[in-house]
Amino acid sequence: MKIFENLPHIDFMKYKALALSISWGLIVVCILAAQPWKGANSNVKLGMQFTGGIDMQVRFKGDVPQDAVRAALGRGGFSDAAVVAYGSKTGFRDYSIKVKARKGQDEKDSTAQINKIREILRGMDASANNDSRPDLNTESVGALADQWVKTNPLNVVGDETAIRLAYDPMLKKIADTREKFAPMTSFDQLPKDLPQVLSGQIKSTYRLGNLSFLKNESFSPSISGEWTTKTLSAVGYALIAILVYVMFRFTASFAIGGIVALIHDILMAVGIFTLFGFEYSVPVVASFLILIGYSMADTIVVFDRIRENSHKPEYRRATITQLVNDSINQTLSRTILTSMSVLFVAVCLFGWGGPALRDLSFPLVIGVITGTYSSIYIASPVVVYLEKWFPRHDSLKQKHT
Amino acid sequence: MTKRSIWRLAVTLFICGVCAFFFIPLSKVRLGLDLKGGVHFELEVQSHEALEADLRDTADRLQDRLKEKGLDVASVRVDALSLRIEGVSAEQKPILEKVMGTFGNFDTSFDAQGARMVQKASYQKFLKEDAGKRALLIIETRVNQFGVAEPEITQSGADGSRIVVELPGVSEAERERIKNLLSTPGRLEQRLKSKLDPTSYKGFPTREAALAFFNGTIPPNTELLPEPETERDLRRAGKDVVTKEKGEEKFKSWHLVETKVYVDGGDISDAHRAVNQTTDANEINFTLNRKGADDFATLTGIASDEGRLISIVLDRKIVSNLSCKEKIPGGSVRVSGSFSKEDADDFALKLKSGAMRASMKFLEEKSMGPSLGADSIRSGIFAAFLGFGVIIVFMLFYYRWSGLNAIAALTVNLIVMLGLMGSFNAVITLPGIAGFALTLGMAVDANILIFERIREELKAGKSVPGAIQAGFDRVFWTIVDSHVTQLFAAMLLFIFGTGPVKGFAVTLTVGVVASLFTSIYISRFIYDWILERHPGTKTLSV
Repeated sequence: MKIFENLPHIDFMKYKALALSISWGLIVVCILAAQPWKGANSNVKLGMQFTGGIDMQVRFKGDVPQDAVRAALGRGGFSDAAVVAYGSKTGFRDYSIKVKARKGQDEKDSTAQINKIREILRGMDASANNDSRPDLNTESVGALADQWVKTNPLNVVGDETAIRLAYDPMLKKIADTREKFAPMTSFDQLPKDLPQVLSGQIKSTYRLGNLSFLKNESFSPSISGEWTTKTLSAVGYALIAILVYVMFRFTASFAIGGIVALIHDILMAVGIFTLFGFEYSVPVVASFLILIGYSMADTIVVFDRIRENSHKPEYRRATITQLVNDSINQTLSRTILTSMSVLFVAVCLFGWGGPALRDLSFPLVIGVITGTYSSIYIASPVVVYLEKWFPRHDSLKQKHT
Repeated sequence: MTKRSIWRLAVTLFICGVCAFFFIPLSKVRLGLDLKGGVHFELEVQSHEALEADLRDTADRLQDRLKEKGLDVASVRVDALSLRIEGVSAEQKPILEKVMGTFGNFDTSFDAQGARMVQKASYQKFLKEDAGKRALLIIETRVNQFGVAEPEITQSGADGSRIVVELPGVSEAERERIKNLLSTPGRLEQRLKSKLDPTSYKGFPTREAALAFFNGTIPPNTELLPEPETERDLRRAGKDVVTKEKGEEKFKSWHLVETKVYVDGGDISDAHRAVNQTTDANEINFTLNRKGADDFATLTGIASDEGRLISIVLDRKIVSNLSCKEKIPGGSVRVSGSFSKEDADDFALKLKSGAMRASMKFLEEKSMGPSLGADSIRSGIFAAFLGFGVIIVFMLFYYRWSGLNAIAALTVNLIVMLGLMGSFNAVITLPGIAGFALTLGMAVDANILIFERIREELKAGKSVPGAIQAGFDRVFWTIVDSHVTQLFAAMLLFIFGTGPVKGFAVTLTVGVVASLFTSIYISRFIYDWILERHPGTKTLSV
């Protein structure tokens, strides 16, 4: 099977001015739509790692509507909380709750905030109203440990340390069970090998609430700025390393062409990512870095062919436009094929990988497509222009491998 | 089969075997916190507080010494990050100068009104690192106490001021409790070993033996405390010092200790290792603040009169039992014994752990339940396999028999990747799973480049062996160049990333390296082998 039965002869370079203006125009549109200069009010959604704040994921038993969660948080003083519904197993509702750190708050505030949010959510539990017993699903097992040590239902002999040691494995079991069911819906789910006395005591002194905290992340604002500089410098260093390597392996005009294409790909992916309302997190930034590596690898395939052809006798008298055009045509099928293989994976991750991988693979889906396009229409035209504007006769032919 | 092919087959099988050895017990694969569930903290030691605490202590000591010299009127106060001394007349100045000269860690300056002392930069650095070390020790003992399997505690930052604690399998509900536990200082106490316990240094071998000795009831106002086995004990016994698993502790003996605490750890202002000038042996010097000095004098008074041992207890475990010959006043103490350099450093650190010289700030805290991770694993692995499957179908469909060659290379790639990751104990995270699938997608690119080139050469009229030869040779540098650029990106991720991102970077780096090997070496080998079996073949299924 072949994409092209015969070598295609498409005059790519004829449309280079048009292509350049369209794609850069699209980038400008994306930037205008994202409005990053508005700071906190822009349309760029930053994860809590970059802004500082709380990121929680909770699971409710039964049908708890999203508006009810939002309203309860609003009443508790968190009207700025972002509440998003997630898919979940039947009979349960999952919500993600995000609260940005306020200006000048420190870590003590964040602990207080977490506890307050927990209280608010626990307050939404109707069963709590006429039952003052602690909730087994959300309370620390530390309290249970203290209770057991005090009452010592199994009559363990020894001092406090010994008693604590004896109850430890059972506490661990309960904690594990609770995590497994998250939340437990019935006391029958308690581990079967738990002594009868203990499960009896739990049943009488605890109730089962209707929610469970699946995830809880909090980031101090003081570390968030650090994350931003860290990721930006990682991207910067990657660009510099690639620039130097390509300069060393090819020539300066290739290196510049490659970097311009890279910047184009990053901006395009960032722009579209933002436009679709995805949120930036550290793994997402990581996938942008992968994009940089991948997009360059794609460009190198074309560059390599240009260099190879430039040594051939039939191109000795050809113009640079002709050389680039032919090289692109010769490598077109493999440029498309290599991109397709990665695109398959990226699309699979995007479609079936679950919410966490969806954010991460989206830049790759965009990036692989633009990366292919930019190898042809961004990197190569830049090389053509540079070679035309700064003609150094043998510049393409000096470097050999 | 020619000798060359046998060699290549042997190399391939050997590499696959070694890699398989590293990952075959799948239990060795460690899952990251995002998949397994657990608690993650990143703390920062507020090391400037340690500098302030040192200034306050120094102010006390300076005042005491000046008083000894009869300069009662002098006022010493902490002013920003320096000590300000005022109220000294011109004729008293030489005395002040002399006293201040004894504080070797400080830079001193004089002006018309008085004098100023500032900590030297090297001393500040020492104090900051010291605060970091203390915090780390406290966290380690606390985590051990919590009994978590495979806790991960790492120190980072310029002066070791950042500490990352990862506790897998700990649930969200326990986060608050652990947080409190981590940020309280160690409970270091100096007590007396009970008169009723005749075992001296040796102690009872087990708790049961001790209970049996006291007929099952512990005498009032005393308790039994364990003494953990240290590396020093093992060395003395001539046993190998095995690095023990974290969280696992062996007790060598139990002692009956009075419940009354004579000296509290908070009163120890400093402790460090010193070398005895005459015997050249390692010693531990520690200093106490004013209150601690009085308490310690009382303690040593009783211990020396009654010939009893002083038990140093840290978080309800005995660090060491000491004897003393006479009452020690003044709050400056020297502990001698046969300590190695490490033992002495360790002991000094434990003595200091009772006083938190700098508080800790929680920069980041994450906790996630394992159920969330289980969902992620399921969908992540499904998506990865789906992607892998699509690639296989595509390659077979597009390149027919050569596609099979690519799949063989891809399979070896997978084995090598797993083996490399297993060999350096890489942690698998959710982005790591994505990285895995993506690397396979990128690895197959190298095969595509080679196959396309072979097709091109065949079309140009080359023979099958000629086309294969040319295909691999021409594409070699393209593959190297494109892999190197990807390697740059992956390695930068590794340097800058933490946690899940690092897992992502590791898989990518490993994948790029593995792909370079399989696409060039394995695929070539398979083609050559086929050519050997069918010499003079005119067609190639590509």
